[in-house]
Amino acid sequence: MVRKQDLRRISPVLWEIPVSFRDDMRVPVRVYADEKLLEAALDDRSIEQAVNASTLPGLVGQVLVMPDVHQGYGFPIGGVAATRLPDGVISPGGIGYDINCGVRLMASSLRAEEAEPHLRDLAQALYANCPSGVGVKGSVPLTLKELDQVCRLGSEWALKNGYAQAEDLPRTEEGGRIQGAEPATVSSRAKERGRPQLGTLGAGNHFIEVDLVEKIYHPEAASVLGLTEGGLALQIHCGSRGFGHQVCSDYVREFQGAVQRYAIRLPDRELVCAPLNSPEGKRYLAAMACAANYAFANRQILAHHARRSFEQVFAGKLKGWPLRQVYDIAHNMGKIEDHTVDGQKIRVCVHRKGATRAFGPGFEGLPPDLRPLGQPVLVPGSMGTASWVLLGTEGSMAQSFGSTCHGAGRVMSRHAAKRAVRGDQLRRDLEARGIHIQAGSLPGLAEEAPQAYKEVDAVVEIVTQAGIAQKVARLKPVVVIKG
Amino acid sequence: MAASGFEEVEHTADWALRAQGASLEELLENAARGMLSLIGAKPGEGEATTWRLEIQGADAESLLVAWLDELLYRMETQRVTFGGMRIHVGPDQRLAAEIEEWPLLRVGHPIKAVTYHNLAVEKTREGLTATVVFDV
Repeated sequence: MVRKQDLRRISPVLWEIPVSFRDDMRVPVRVYADEKLLEAALDDRSIEQAVNASTLPGLVGQVLVMPDVHQGYGFPIGGVAATRLPDGVISPGGIGYDINCGVRLMASSLRAEEAEPHLRDLAQALYANCPSGVGVKGSVPLTLKELDQVCRLGSEWALKNGYAQAEDLPRTEEGGRIQGAEPATVSSRAKERGRPQLGTLGAGNHFIEVDLVEKIYHPEAASVLGLTEGGLALQIHCGSRGFGHQVCSDYVREFQGAVQRYAIRLPDRELVCAPLNSPEGKRYLAAMACAANYAFANRQILAHHARRSFEQVFAGKLKGWPLRQVYDIAHNMGKIEDHTVDGQKIRVCVHRKGATRAFGPGFEGLPPDLRPLGQPVLVPGSMGTASWVLLGTEGSMAQSFGSTCHGAGRVMSRHAAKRAVRGDQLRRDLEARGIHIQAGSLPGLAEEAPQAYKEVDAVVEIVTQAGIAQKVARLKPVVVIKG
Repeated sequence: MAASGFEEVEHTADWALRAQGASLEELLENAARGMLSLIGAKPGEGEATTWRLEIQGADAESLLVAWLDELLYRMETQRVTFGGMRIHVGPDQRLAAEIEEWPLLRVGHPIKAVTYHNLAVEKTREGLTATVVFDV
């Protein structure tokens, strides 16, 4: 159990657990939080899980804990850990089962007030066009050969097949295609699960949301991103569906043996890992890339359906409805990147589980118009609350392996939320606040009640105060679609 | 522990389930029933059939994860849920089971995956117990 007195305060928003805290720690753990968020994090086992993660072989710098942290399995959700190449490890559980779960933001030139009379129709169109919920089949059933192409090409497959616009890809992390994907490293089970599910939202905390751009904090960046105050935007939050879940399950099982072969001692079996230069580690990286590319294609197809929905509802009635891609980011991923550690540039595998890449200005992977600004970061709040558009900074490069927060972070279990909140009452409350809801399950709605989460504004204040992100815009929901 | 042999344990973001049994077979059956209860799997109309399964785990924990994984995978890909179970675990954690299957009407809340997080099959005075964390 980690107690508050075990942490040393480095700044008003940064705390450290030194390696002396536990014999098996290899690097310190640093927690981004104020007192209130730190106490919330100490209420469950999230910080203990970060200490467990700090025992992985080949770690460099510190294990970082974002202010939206909550208890996960193995790693905490909201954790960042970097292992050096070639002999550091990769841990599938440190990336998560929903590989490349992430967020896409699109913006229109519609004014929210002129769109308002049509929002109920828009909610219905989005719900009808974007398959969501449990056991729902996708809009794009694939042959095994096509699935292999999705694995290799990601968003490029979507572009070739009419589900993307060319401008979408540069506005996607890694252009919507992670290199090194090898479908032969993915099990037939994962393929069987993935084949019928492409183009589906899923259930749980995944959503599509239409937002009003409520306030702009960085006019220059907002202008480049196509965000205007009072404008209408759309977010998609989902990942790699059963395909990614099975890839992770397969490798967590396989790596139970790998840790014995490589004599790696761990405090939790969910942290199992293999050296990045081992055959097992290389195979997982190639399979993870397949799942990441599947997720990019999945969000791209849902974006296509969102565009169709906007056209159905607004064409001929209002101008400015076409949706342009603002950005698409992953928040469950392992990435091979170059970072400066102790003054030396080294190649590392950055595990981000419930954390977002937030590269600063000058990053070559950004399109030329975004490069001077830094990478856009999308931070969805809990249902019915605000979301944020941020930018990566020089501070995030220096402090956090170019990473920042990913959302609000839960504080209440799903069971407790269902005891505290009734789904039908929550729907009425949200509708009374002008938010149109389409949900497949009322208990599912209650699980995602705003009371079950931290305040996203407080989380964003911490990362901006710490200098690992800067604010661009705050969004307010007007339509929520849940599976 | 409830008479059902399983109970939900509080977890901030995911689901955790404690199961027990007088034997490993009973622990596996109770863990499966607990997982189906969390998912809220409802059988639809149609004939029950029997599914025969054989798997092996490196140890009791791996067998427990593999067993629950098999049920989740079959549920998703075959759209079925499960009734009576006859489970036998032989030497080397080799499991053979006959499981009654029903067409699946609906699922309340899906589980993404079964994790190994802090998983240990432990001996108690009553038999065996384990707490499984699911990613949801």
